[in-house]
Amino acid sequence: MKVSQNWLKKYVDFKFTPEQLTEKLTMLGLEVESYEDLAKKYKNFVVGEVLARAKHPNADRLSICKVNTGTTVQNVVCGAPNVAAGQKVVVALIGANIPHNQHDPEGKPFIIERAKIREVESNGMICSEVELGLGKDASGILVLDEKAKAGTSLANYLGQTDVVYEIGITPNRADCLSHIGVAREIGLLVNKKLKMPKTVLRESTTAAAKFAKIEIFDKEKCPRYSARVLRNAKIGPSPKWLQDLLTSVGVRPINNVVDVTNYVLMETGHPLHAFDYDTLVGHKIIVKTAQDGEKFITLDGKERTLTSETLMICDAEKPIAVAGVMGGANTEITDTTTNILIESAYFDPRSIRRTSKYLGLSTEASYRFERGTDINITVLAANRAAQIIQELSGGELLRGALDAYPKKQKPLIVKARVSRINSIIGISLKKAQIVSLLKQIDVAAKSSSKDEILVTVPSFRNDLLEEIDIIEEVARVYGYNNIETKTHASIDFSSNVRTDLLQDEIRDYIIGLGFNEVLAIGLQDEATMSIAGKPLVKAINPVSAEMAALRTSLVPSALRIVKHNRNHGVRDLRLFEIGNIYLLNVDKTPNTLDAYYEEERLLLVLSGQNAPVSYGSASRDVDVLDLKGEVTALLSKFCLDNYRFIYYDNQESLCEPCIGIEINGAYAGFFGRVRIQIADKLDIDEAVFVCELKIRAIYDGWARDRKFSSLPKFPGVMRDLAFTIEAALPQKSVEDVIRKVGQPLCTNVVLFDMYSGQQTGIEKKSLAYALEFQSPDHTLTDTEIDNVLKKIIEAVQRQCNGVLRS
Amino acid sequence: MLDKIEHTKQVFITELQKVVTLQDLEQVRIKFLARSGEIAVLFEGMKTAAISEKPALGKALNELRQCTQAQFDEKKSSLEQTAKPKEVPFDLTLPGRPKPIGTKHPVVQVMEEMKRIFISMGFSVETGPDIESDYYNFGALNFAPDHPARDMQDTIFIADKILLRTHTSPVQIRVMEKQQPPVRAIMPGWAYRNEATSARSLVAFHQIEGLYVDHGVTFSELKGTLVAFAKQFYGSSIKYRFRPSFFPFTEPSAEMDITCFICGGKGCRVCKHSGWLEVLGSGMVHPHVFQAVGYDPEKYSGYAFGMGIERTAMLRYNIDDIRILYENDVRFLKQF
Ligand SMILES: [Zn+2]
Repeated sequence: MKVSQNWLKKYVDFKFTPEQLTEKLTMLGLEVESYEDLAKKYKNFVVGEVLARAKHPNADRLSICKVNTGTTVQNVVCGAPNVAAGQKVVVALIGANIPHNQHDPEGKPFIIERAKIREVESNGMICSEVELGLGKDASGILVLDEKAKAGTSLANYLGQTDVVYEIGITPNRADCLSHIGVAREIGLLVNKKLKMPKTVLRESTTAAAKFAKIEIFDKEKCPRYSARVLRNAKIGPSPKWLQDLLTSVGVRPINNVVDVTNYVLMETGHPLHAFDYDTLVGHKIIVKTAQDGEKFITLDGKERTLTSETLMICDAEKPIAVAGVMGGANTEITDTTTNILIESAYFDPRSIRRTSKYLGLSTEASYRFERGTDINITVLAANRAAQIIQELSGGELLRGALDAYPKKQKPLIVKARVSRINSIIGISLKKAQIVSLLKQIDVAAKSSSKDEILVTVPSFRNDLLEEIDIIEEVARVYGYNNIETKTHASIDFSSNVRTDLLQDEIRDYIIGLGFNEVLAIGLQDEATMSIAGKPLVKAINPVSAEMAALRTSLVPSALRIVKHNRNHGVRDLRLFEIGNIYLLNVDKTPNTLDAYYEEERLLLVLSGQNAPVSYGSASRDVDVLDLKGEVTALLSKFCLDNYRFIYYDNQESLCEPCIGIEINGAYAGFFGRVRIQIADKLDIDEAVFVCELKIRAIYDGWARDRKFSSLPKFPGVMRDLAFTIEAALPQKSVEDVIRKVGQPLCTNVVLFDMYSGQQTGIEKKSLAYALEFQSPDHTLTDTEIDNVLKKIIEAVQRQCNGVLRS
Repeated sequence: MLDKIEHTKQVFITELQKVVTLQDLEQVRIKFLARSGEIAVLFEGMKTAAISEKPALGKALNELRQCTQAQFDEKKSSLEQTAKPKEVPFDLTLPGRPKPIGTKHPVVQVMEEMKRIFISMGFSVETGPDIESDYYNFGALNFAPDHPARDMQDTIFIADKILLRTHTSPVQIRVMEKQQPPVRAIMPGWAYRNEATSARSLVAFHQIEGLYVDHGVTFSELKGTLVAFAKQFYGSSIKYRFRPSFFPFTEPSAEMDITCFICGGKGCRVCKHSGWLEVLGSGMVHPHVFQAVGYDPEKYSGYAFGMGIERTAMLRYNIDDIRILYENDVRFLKQF
């Protein structure tokens, strides 16, 4: 909200600089986001009197002027044809910033410097309207009123001395959505009572009640409706002071009636509306809800469809305003209006909010009504407006305010305990101190028992409803920064504190393997997310199509990241992510949380080359075995040997080949190469290998409790074996036979070579294994090992049709 | 005979001194040390010597053999050293075999550091779902239906009353529902707002929520804890201030500002010329929130706080456009 310093000073005297006021209001909870010092842009501009004009010796079109600028007389070279002795003009002194250079095609601003123009010294510039940004006339200099006093600053001459503050008012402080409201807070700072505007009415003898009637049908939504009637007013533009004030706080002046209602709104925070009395059929105001589907054209010229929830102001025949939101085009004040009805009502905040939301229409009025206005000042505000309208437009103010107020509201009394106030804030105030703190913000309180005070909540503070609200006000007025800063936490260290350790450990380990961590936003575009082939959780009001559906897998968003990097010339990628996926249970109703399931996943991505091109190491494209190695290392680190790979053929999956991972016998994830068709869809023409694992599964298999097993006392013996088998047979079938038959002496089997080609024929392959033999209780003899080898060779031959190579 | 031995020795020494090449040396070897060389001949001659002379002769001959052999070896090794082609020294400036360097996402780095500080102060870490109900995100947190406070957080909906959480505060409710006081937890995670993407805002961002509930927790202690955190995170010399604010689920509510560490409080573009940076929102847990989770507000009090991570990361790493954080450009990620 914009607040004018000059306007505030009508209600409270203060001498703060803009910086000081910014700081002080902010510390009271009225955050000043910025301020504009209007005088600043007129710095170094003064009113000057041209004492004499002489022709420039070296230029026909220029003249040399002697200008009195108040304290000194300056030489100023001027090119304008209309400059003449005796004129009062605007002089830009050295250092002045000319907002618009009329000789520059783009009108760029420039700063006045001491200059020699054709060898004649010039100490400033006499300005045109255009150069000052005050008008469009560029034909000559701006000539001021002859009464202007030389030396007066231009800001003062123009009356542009205001400072305008932009204040962020939190939703609980509806009372501060006005100049009087902000002035009340300043009053707290300077410890002064507010100077409230005096309303002196010049009423005619004719009673308003004879000319208009108010009926409230919906007393819930409209507890109070007040009005005043004026006759024979003359509509015209508002005077400059009013236009300036409104303009300074961002309100566009319209005419001397609408401007006054806006003025009173900005002054008191109470929204008003003026109707053209003669357009009101039956000269009646009826407050009731609309019919479902009813149409209505608001002041902005738009047709609105109403519901039976929408509260409307109507005359005897038709709706004339959406209550508290916007008036109708059918009854607005026009140039020909002469008789006026001023509405000043109190509407139920929730009702106004629903209407404003439903219509998608937020106005200065609805903004305040939905936050809560002061029900007690409806007549006051109407009177205030009536008085000023009468002053500005003439006319006759009919006697008496109309006021429909079926159920008078009693002031709210809130109990607050001194002990509670002190124990929540952590201070030790006496009862009397608390009462006096509250008094500073016009909140009356009195002692009711030893530990209790009764607080009478003023009607403008509709945020004070219970004890905790009073506690906050005490803390605020006491000053947050006066509250001691202390720590004496009573922490129970005996219970096991959960600290998300596993994710952090996995992350650190994977970073150690040289992966770069990525983080993607859960919301992505629907088309890419559908790649994972699962029902999507979608936003019903997405920000954009790019962020419309939640991820069901981390793979599709990772492919977009791969694509992004490839577009920027980065091809070799080792990426990982820890993030949530979101699944939809289509069997459950979508408006319960049961329909949604979230799970944390770990993603690994490999693409491009296995190592950067460098001397001493051969780079090659990564393959699925690179990823398998990483996955194996990760699983072995965290789950030891509680995992296994499942080699299956799943046409549905994102990968081809796709290898499943089981931890402790439960499905934990998969890895493989992203299907070519899928990569194609994203325009990625390179193999991408991904692994997606459930964090929970790793957690469940996490072998944290490790037990030491004693180291072998006798040396191991290495032997190699090579077999030729059918090329189609997986090596694992041979390895499994070796492991099984080799027990217990053969303790490790490593495939160290695989060959298929000329020597074997392509239908065959040769597998070479290194076997380690070891016994816990003695050094093995050759005979013992040879016996085992013999059994292995026989078994491989029998079970895998494997031929021993020698 | 002994003279002859001595003479042979002198001749050997003289000839060895003349040797320049390995070929010369070989000639010397053949002449003296070979199987039929002069020294072997002398040994042969010993056979014919008188028995009484034999021990002395044997000793002298053995000495001769050892001495000549030693001198020969020495000469040979010295010649070989000089004769060997000079070896090219290893080029130590060759690059090491490259290893990939892993990096942690900057947002995660900031979050981990914050977590570490709070864990050291006895906070546990809790999490909750991103897809939430209106009840957990608003209702239980004292956001009345049809209240303008809801405008503070533009919401992305999944279905009627189902939404993407707009803050991490619903986790407070979940933690309190399953646990009796004392509760001392932080709750990091994603939050979502229906805001257009720009250099300053994104549809999703991270928050860390904090909660402490026990007997006799005061606003004063809230200040103490958060100041302790800020001094550890931003540096012990920072200045700070608490100013009144509004959150429906806390009262009294406060925002905490610290002196802008970009300009030192003089005012700059980053702090919008105020000299202060807003670092977190906080307050005393509202009694209505306690009622919603079945805690007795007369028995317990507590504080809660929340802070955004991205802005902190941007300030720390001098990043001026929030969008780059989630583009996941490897050239960006590798800088951290
Ligand atoms: Zn700064």
